[in-house]
Amino acid sequence: MDSLIPFTTSGSLVDCVDRKMLVVLRDGRKLQGVLRSYDQFANLVLEDTVERIYFRDLFAETWRGLFLIRGENVVLLGEVDLDQEDDVPLRQVAWNELEPYYQQELAAKRIREETKAQVLFEQKGFCKEGGEGDGY
Amino acid sequence: QLPLSLLNAAQNKPMLVELKNGETFNGHLVNCDNFMNITLREVYQTNADGDRFWKLKECYIRGSTIKYLRVPDTLLDAVKEEQNKAREAGRSARGAHVSGAGNRGV
Repeated sequence: MDSLIPFTTSGSLVDCVDRKMLVVLRDGRKLQGVLRSYDQFANLVLEDTVERIYFRDLFAETWRGLFLIRGENVVLLGEVDLDQEDDVPLRQVAWNELEPYYQQELAAKRIREETKAQVLFEQKGFCKEGGEGDGY
Repeated sequence: QLPLSLLNAAQNKPMLVELKNGETFNGHLVNCDNFMNITLREVYQTNADGDRFWKLKECYIRGSTIKYLRVPDTLLDAVKEEQNKAREAGRSARGAHVSGAGNRGV
């Protein structure tokens, strides 16, 4: 609970270093790892990284190791509460079992988003720019 | 240390680079700069769907197209080792110089 204390310095990642963080990338990937360093662009070094995929009430993990992530691809960073991180109301299964379902759902989502964007463009005058390649 | 200094320390090490378009490049890092532009050698390139492969002797990747890089897990420890060694070398060199100068007065 007390890991939710607001950061004292605005816009600084120094309080996140050497902590387990959840990183969401623009392509929708969810990575968890120990943040080791960062710079002014929010490029990140993530150690002992695990990628997790979710589907309905299941999830699966796979080991990814040491990452250097380019800052512009990061959507958000969240601190993982080590006391609560195992209290997940989801069942864990093997990666190679869940991955096809996950990919299916991802493809369906991409089509939904594209049709949505198309309708917004044609009927409501929304512009088509921005959000290219974003899968989150 | 900074992410880019980790990258610099990864020269000659194997790594995987994924671009924003999902293509992946597996190769050994030759060089890199502050824009994250990199050159790799002995590269295996794969397209985003993972169904087409190329082998390239060398390639240049513009930093702005990179999504992320995956490096060997041992790299962080290796870098720390090198930093310690450099610090030791600096300290012993400086120590020898100082004690030599001190003895002159006696």
